[in-house]
Amino acid sequence: MLRHTTRTMRSHAWLYVMILPVIAYFLIFVYYPLYQGAASSFQEFKLLGTAEWIGTENYLEVWKDGTFWQVVKNTLLIGGGILVFGFFPPIMVALALNEAATLLFKKLAQTTVYLPHLFSWVVIGGMWIFLLSPGGGLVNELLALINVGPVRFLTNTTWARATMIGLPIWKDMGYAAIIYLASITSINPSLYEAARIDGASRFQQMYQITLPLLKPTMKVVFMLNILGLLRIFDQIFVMRNPVVQGGIDVIMTYVYDMGIQRYELGFASAISVMVLLTTLLLTAIVWRVTRFGRDD
Amino acid sequence: MNDASQLEVPLGDKVLDRDTSGSAQREGGSDRLFQYGVIAFLIILMMMMIVPFWNVVAVAFSGPIASMTRGIILWPREFSAEGFRIVWVNLNLQQAFINSVIVTTVGTVLHVALSCFAAYVLIQRNLPGKTIMLVFILATMAIPGELIMIPLYIVNKQLGLLNTLWALIFSGMISGFSILLLRNFFAGVPYDLAESAKIDGASDFRIFRSIYLPLSQAGIATIALFELVSRWNQFLPVILYINDSSKYTLQVALNALVTENLGTSGTSMVTPNVRMAGIVIAILPLVILYPFMQKYFVKGITLGSVKE
Repeated sequence: MLRHTTRTMRSHAWLYVMILPVIAYFLIFVYYPLYQGAASSFQEFKLLGTAEWIGTENYLEVWKDGTFWQVVKNTLLIGGGILVFGFFPPIMVALALNEAATLLFKKLAQTTVYLPHLFSWVVIGGMWIFLLSPGGGLVNELLALINVGPVRFLTNTTWARATMIGLPIWKDMGYAAIIYLASITSINPSLYEAARIDGASRFQQMYQITLPLLKPTMKVVFMLNILGLLRIFDQIFVMRNPVVQGGIDVIMTYVYDMGIQRYELGFASAISVMVLLTTLLLTAIVWRVTRFGRDD
Repeated sequence: MNDASQLEVPLGDKVLDRDTSGSAQREGGSDRLFQYGVIAFLIILMMMMIVPFWNVVAVAFSGPIASMTRGIILWPREFSAEGFRIVWVNLNLQQAFINSVIVTTVGTVLHVALSCFAAYVLIQRNLPGKTIMLVFILATMAIPGELIMIPLYIVNKQLGLLNTLWALIFSGMISGFSILLLRNFFAGVPYDLAESAKIDGASDFRIFRSIYLPLSQAGIATIALFELVSRWNQFLPVILYINDSSKYTLQVALNALVTENLGTSGTSMVTPNVRMAGIVIAILPLVILYPFMQKYFVKGITLGSVKE
């Protein structure tokens, strides 16, 4: 048996050579960093010389750190806001796209709505900093037409948080809509046929057939969005400024600031380990919930 | 215009005919109203997406002084391409652009090639160790790169990769997601085809090259385009590993230029037309590619379910 296995392996030597780079890559750039991160969280780093083991001191420091709790609160506020307010827009977009009268119009609308998702947060953030500026930005100029403003979108904490919630919803709406649209196309057409025979209007068909049948997809999308919540980084990093930073900095920007800017690698690693463990726990929960969703 | 009998919903390969002919006569007034509502909603939505970009382009092509004046700019004022010249030459965005092209090209080619190799190995039947390798690869999908940025920084430092473009190329060079997606495509190739080629004496690599690759072009194009876009937009790895501004990629060079907050500083040496020209340069390659990418995007998103 063993000899047989060895012979099979030898005859497929090429196959092992082909997958070797992938295995090596994951070892060096995923599994080893996991170990390294866990180890660093129990160490103190000096600019020169080697790291020193200091037990759980980093974790205690994080626990006592007021800024850490502030960024956790910001993350939950901003991430929670995106989760809640960003839930229905993609569904509405998908339903509207599905009802679009002509194929050309539908394609055009879909292409346009997806567009912002294609670009980086540097582009989107840089653009909106300009558009939202109180000194002549498009948004404030439009608000001035109805005698409102100027609104200081990015220098008032409340407005800045609202902006941090609104922009990702605007940016990613088209992406999530495609997921819903795919699931709408898999609905059995005979359901609509039957509804039509019963005299249901198009709106009734949408509201009473399409929407309820999207529930499993909604569950999956919602669950996966929860996982994204803790990873928010780019949008905050790009759009923050000293005036509102305390109110919109999130866990990951804090990890970057502490680890890379201030070289507190041990402290930053301790936060990373905690976030990673939370994410893995959430992932396990999400797996269970979405599995159950598919069963019923 | 809104003849409901024309309604079709195509997505991927499926085409769903929703309305059969004849129902048009039965279409009531409420249906017509609903249809108008849908059209109005979609038009407002499209304007919300297009107008911001339109404004950016109009400002980019305005003169330096004109771009600073107040008011709604939806058409270039004192038309000028000066902004592009300043951002490209004087602010040296061209160096960053070249770095981005290098990292994007090399990174995407390696990503696609290595993913194809791995996916091919993972569809083999009766290959000793296959299950272990599969679990080893899939488990990495549970670990988002952002969350291990600090240890990744330490690892790159240990390997002496800091301040090199290699650090950027290695970052995200392989992903479990791409391998999984390609594996699904490869699994769609009839296994008997490979079997009979094997009987004819073809090597594993030969079968891979002349059967699997040509038959999975759509899948390969999908991951290549996804990778191309995410490479072009790569940001966190650059601010993690690169200090030396001559190694900056476009996104990071642009970040320094466009995110100087107008709300706080008020005065700036760089006029809006220059900043917006920078943004136009950064999105141009993607806008040009977009029409070709669209069908693969829909395919990729739906196939990969909801994983980004």
